[in-house]
Amino acid sequence: MHGVATKDGHNGYVGLVLVSHSASIAEGVAELVGQVAGPEVPIVAIGGASDGSLGTDGGKVLDALREAAAGGGAVVLMDLGSSVLAVRAAQEELSSLENGRVLIADAPLVEGAVAAGVTASTGASASEIVAAAQEARSAAKL
Amino acid sequence: MPPSSERRVILPDGVPLHARPAGTFVKAAARFGSAVAVAANGRRANAKSILEVLALGAEGGTELTLSASGDDAADAVDELATLVAQLA
Repeated sequence: MHGVATKDGHNGYVGLVLVSHSASIAEGVAELVGQVAGPEVPIVAIGGASDGSLGTDGGKVLDALREAAAGGGAVVLMDLGSSVLAVRAAQEELSSLENGRVLIADAPLVEGAVAAGVTASTGASASEIVAAAQEARSAAKL
Repeated sequence: MPPSSERRVILPDGVPLHARPAGTFVKAAARFGSAVAVAANGRRANAKSILEVLALGAEGGTELTLSASGDDAADAVDELATLVAQLA
């Protein structure tokens, strides 16, 4: 299946939502994924607390997941600790229909996002993208 | 035994199989039903896995061995060899 433009404005590709403690990390990973995977895959980068310090803004995470669920769906990757908690808290606020369209990948953020982005750019489903991201848990670098 | 095919191709000088070129290569490999592998520097990667392809660390000028097994193996190897030679 490849991405096809749809009436409700998304391009048919499953997107990525990247959640980090740091806006710089989230945006940097998004930039790297865009370079490797190409421009088709929608990527939302969320980092930092609401006052701009290091941390996680649960409201922003929830908004991003809702928006992704209403669009082409998404796979969510996060870094550590409270990012994970914020994503899990947001999941609890979503309907079961929304949760079916926004899947969480349990994977290292950088490597998982690169694998997820390239897989998403082939028009893969969210569950295929999660599987590709989770391969990053065991991929050797050396 | 499914059909299999193998071919060697040299990465253009100055074009490592990193970042954008690696993504282009993996996306092209993913379009084939065959299992596709790429070997370089004595290592072998699933050509459909960006993390494995990046881990090859193939610099420009490196010889890649492309191999495929499956019904579209010959097409996969031909198309990927052409793509590699044209990477910029």
